[in-house]
Amino acid sequence: MKKPVLACEPSNYTPVAGDFELLEQQDIQTDKNFASQGYWKGVAIHFSRNRRAMVGLVIVVLMILLAVFGPMISGYRYDEIVSALNAKGRKKAAVGISPRIPAIHEFVTGSPYDDIYADKTFLFGTDDLGRDLWTRTWYGARVSLLIAFVTILIDMIIGMSYGLLSGYFGGRVDNVMQRFVEIANSIPRLVIVSVLAIFMPKGIGLVIVALLLTEWIGMSKIARAEMLKMKEQEYVLASRTLGASNTHIIFKEILPNTIGPIITQVMFSIPTAIFTEAFLSFVGVGIVLPQCSIGTLIEDGFNNITTLPYQILPPIAVLALLMLGFNFIGDGLREALAPKLEDM
Amino acid sequence: MKKWIALGLFAVMLFTCLGAFAEDQYLSVMLSTNVMSLDTNLATDGESFEVIADCIDGLTQMDADGAAIPAIAESYDISEDGKTYTFHLRDAQWQNGTPVTANDFVFAWRRICQEAGEYAYLFDSSVGCVKGADAIIYEGADPTTLGVSAPDEKTFVVELEVPVSFFPSLMYFPTFYPINEEFYNSLEAGTYGTSPETFLANGAFVLESYTPGTANLTVKKNETYWDADRVQLPGIKYQVVGSSDNALTAFKTGALNVVTISGNQVASAEKDAALSQNLKVTGAGYLWYLTFSQTENNAQGGMLANANLRLAISNALDREALVEDYVMDGSLDTYTAVPPQFAASATTGEDFSADQERFADVCGYNPEKAVEYFDAAVAELGVDTFTFTMIYGNNEGDEVAKVAQAIKSQIEETLPNITINLQPMTKAERIDKMQNDNYDVALTRWGPDYADPMTYLGMWITDNSNNYGFWSNAEYDQLIADCTTGAYISDYDARWAAMYDAETLVMQEAVIAPLYTKANANLISAGVEGIEFHPVALNRVYKNTTLQ
Amino acid sequence: MTKYVLKRVGMALATLLIIIFLLFVLVRIMPGNPFPAERMNDQQIANKRAEMGLDDPIPVQFFNYMVKLLHGDFGNGTSLYNGAPIKTVLSTCVANSFRIGGMAVLLGTIVGLLLGICAALNRGRFLDGFCTVVSILGVCVPSYVFLIFLQYNFAYKLPLLPYFFDSTKFLKSSVVPVVSMSLFTMSTIARFTRNEMVEVIDSDYVRLAESKGLYGGSLVRRHVLRNALIPIVTVLAPLVVDLLTGALVVEKIYGINGIGKLMVDAIAGEGVDYNYVLALGILYSSLYIGIMLVVDILYGALDPRIRVAAKGGADE
Repeated sequence: MKKPVLACEPSNYTPVAGDFELLEQQDIQTDKNFASQGYWKGVAIHFSRNRRAMVGLVIVVLMILLAVFGPMISGYRYDEIVSALNAKGRKKAAVGISPRIPAIHEFVTGSPYDDIYADKTFLFGTDDLGRDLWTRTWYGARVSLLIAFVTILIDMIIGMSYGLLSGYFGGRVDNVMQRFVEIANSIPRLVIVSVLAIFMPKGIGLVIVALLLTEWIGMSKIARAEMLKMKEQEYVLASRTLGASNTHIIFKEILPNTIGPIITQVMFSIPTAIFTEAFLSFVGVGIVLPQCSIGTLIEDGFNNITTLPYQILPPIAVLALLMLGFNFIGDGLREALAPKLEDM
Repeated sequence: MKKWIALGLFAVMLFTCLGAFAEDQYLSVMLSTNVMSLDTNLATDGESFEVIADCIDGLTQMDADGAAIPAIAESYDISEDGKTYTFHLRDAQWQNGTPVTANDFVFAWRRICQEAGEYAYLFDSSVGCVKGADAIIYEGADPTTLGVSAPDEKTFVVELEVPVSFFPSLMYFPTFYPINEEFYNSLEAGTYGTSPETFLANGAFVLESYTPGTANLTVKKNETYWDADRVQLPGIKYQVVGSSDNALTAFKTGALNVVTISGNQVASAEKDAALSQNLKVTGAGYLWYLTFSQTENNAQGGMLANANLRLAISNALDREALVEDYVMDGSLDTYTAVPPQFAASATTGEDFSADQERFADVCGYNPEKAVEYFDAAVAELGVDTFTFTMIYGNNEGDEVAKVAQAIKSQIEETLPNITINLQPMTKAERIDKMQNDNYDVALTRWGPDYADPMTYLGMWITDNSNNYGFWSNAEYDQLIADCTTGAYISDYDARWAAMYDAETLVMQEAVIAPLYTKANANLISAGVEGIEFHPVALNRVYKNTTLQ
Repeated sequence: MTKYVLKRVGMALATLLIIIFLLFVLVRIMPGNPFPAERMNDQQIANKRAEMGLDDPIPVQFFNYMVKLLHGDFGNGTSLYNGAPIKTVLSTCVANSFRIGGMAVLLGTIVGLLLGICAALNRGRFLDGFCTVVSILGVCVPSYVFLIFLQYNFAYKLPLLPYFFDSTKFLKSSVVPVVSMSLFTMSTIARFTRNEMVEVIDSDYVRLAESKGLYGGSLVRRHVLRNALIPIVTVLAPLVVDLLTGALVVEKIYGINGIGKLMVDAIAGEGVDYNYVLALGILYSSLYIGIMLVVDILYGALDPRIRVAAKGGADE
């Protein structure tokens, strides 16, 4: 029987260099549809189309603006004890005054307040020392916003990398890194901070160092768990077979797929950090009185929670609004960043 | 179905009734902090002393006015030279039925001196002057050399180095209470007073439930108490309450019959028609004051060693504002180094510090004078701006942080060239820093341990461990020595006058800046009568208390 | 598997030793006095220190401590509740905190999971928004504020529950602290569950399962929840440790004799109590290390592809 002649039948022809033409690097990328848009540009567009995310952004920007300008518009300093002369001619501090706007009170009731602070406006009332709570709340919001952003950075830089690396390399590396986490987490924070306070001035700097020491641990655990789950998946294997570097696999291939839980975790570590700061301040290694933060204002308000409940409401409301804003932004980012949710 | 509901309701009612009957007769009382120890050698806080005194009687006890009246000692004789006390004990018994004997006191006193706890100093030559106490406490001498003896079961003899006019009133302080030797030795080491089983009472109440660190404990009436007829309460239920706000609500619910409130809660109780009926302000005794480090180690190289600078600060403080606007619980603004209301003269009956105007020229709220003193200090020191750190305790009551901030604000307003930085820390750390001379200004307090001005004046002699300013004045040291062991010990009025002279020295140099004498604002349920409050030694005594 | 667990337990003991040593040294560096004594002079304090062996070189002290510890003796406190052996104080505190904390963990996890699942299945609708707001409030409002709220309403306005903790009425008086302590866990779990499930629901394999005709409960159980559980278990683990070791202010306000208050009292109470800090540190780190081990094992059970014990990508 006669054999059919195949097109690719081996012949005596030997290939030469001239048969092939090297392409320029940029020409390799063929997927013009998505490449042209750029990853981050896409994220931005997707994010800006998300209504909830934009609401969140507006809330957070508003909070930042109020934190910056709020203390200026009240006319009081954050540490100013507001007082008025009483009947005995002594300057009496305006302690524990509930929120008041004299004009509105007069409009509603037809008469001014019948006490010595009748002409004074306190939008959120005053605290136990006779200081204006509006001013203090926004002054405190500055400190707590700083803590919030530092926490986000700590989580995203230290916590995430630590967890991703620990999970990715696994085996002995993971073992050593996880034992280190156990040690770092087991020394009570108060002990470490008290020791640090010997070498460092007390204040917001010390609080940030304290957060640097342990605040990333929760995030690293999440990142590690996600990495453990992801690294066995087919696309990682494929990427590795194609010879991609470890850095590329970790940060370009796996990270975008784990962004969901990471963002959720960031959201939960912010209030924890804010209350940690308040606790450290209370024991005397954080911010120094008469400075304040949202956390310390909540603690102070707690002293009078049933007798003067208006004292604890503003800081809690500011914190809750801030967190609502952050969460909306976080959700928006999650949807914008995670390829799964994107309706391509 | 209906039957079951009815049965259920009946059961609920039964439970509620049972609950009501089981508890309601006990008086429920708030404690501000945990009872730290029921061992007289280790107890250092008012809460512990109060519970110990509920359960154990000493030689004497306090009457409603704080005077010493007989307890386990039916009577006592004092020798001619005033140095030997012979106590005649009555027939009293421990809760396990063994009689209270003189040996119980000998054993307890020797043990206190040997273990040299915090309050052992009440035996030494600065206070109680019990013979041989100094050598045992500070040099580890044989405890049997202590000047106490038990010639027979019912006679207890104490020998003193020098006469001590207030010795009988020391005897109601828990440090001087008896412990049954046989019972103590039958316990595992270190377990005395850690449970009802390891604690033996001879007093009005016996311990019913207690574990170290517990937030609630109960004591119940001791039926074998020698004066059991007088005790009306079937028991007391103590509850540690963490905040003044919570105390107020607990009182409103009826969960507690006796609570102590402070700050805004007092203001709100005063405004409330019903609650204001239950409000009772009692003296707590503590003097809050500022102390200044006078050594070169601190305050910009010893700036506060300058008396004018200290006087400037003292005159910039508006004490009236502190008590009325911030402390709010009826505390008294104070302008004397010895606070009022705890030490009255035995001859005239007049309170040592009744006259608060005595040092008006050096101590008071006087901004112009403060500036004058400040200018004088600037001229002497050649420095015109100062920054000092003020330390205060964050676990010493809600009002302390408020007072600290108010003081900062007052000083900086009157004397703009002085900056005060605040530094909170635990009380223990604060005392540590003060004793080791590592502070500039401290907000501190001292409670009277016994009803004599010396409990304060004794602090400022050279090298005393509570002389936190490290102030030293030979004239002062001599005056105090004369009052405790020297020329004036047998002449009551001369001693009293000498103590005024000593106080004048302290005030004229503003060694301390007195602020206010703490009071407690108590809420007491209607129907509860006869709780005796004292600023010294035992804060509350319930032996005459009735509950309807 | 057994080999892996044994290996991890061995490592845990080594880690614990390092932790104890570090803590041992750090508490001694910390400012603060093991014998706070306002009314003692220097000589008395020096005698006390010598009696407790605090003047020995640190290695000697550490050796003595470890010998005692191996005999099961935590020693006595230096300043806190003087004289009482730590074991007696700790046993009550551990009993209270573990029981209350354990109930809070259970309540928080179960309610959190349910809330999260409901929110995920109703994505974008009212229940989802409600869940978001609840979980944000749950993390923004400290547990002690909830405690006051519950105490004020259910022990005062409506006197249904005891106003203070009472160990003789354990169950009834646990309601207030358990509910208030569980809210943070509940919020966290609800949020993670919701977010994870939303992602899983959108994934191809769930679409596939749906197209195969799987619906409702069995789909959620078999496919969705199982795949969402890994991050949930991860965040739950440290929360369990935190809840079991108590909550300072809740204990203080409700009058519970628990670990949280004990720890702060030991570090920042009347002084620094070296022995209490160590005893509590050992307790806390044993719990933490143990629970982390359980979590690592759980990963394998939840997703058989995960092998924590195995080496990772780089060396393969």
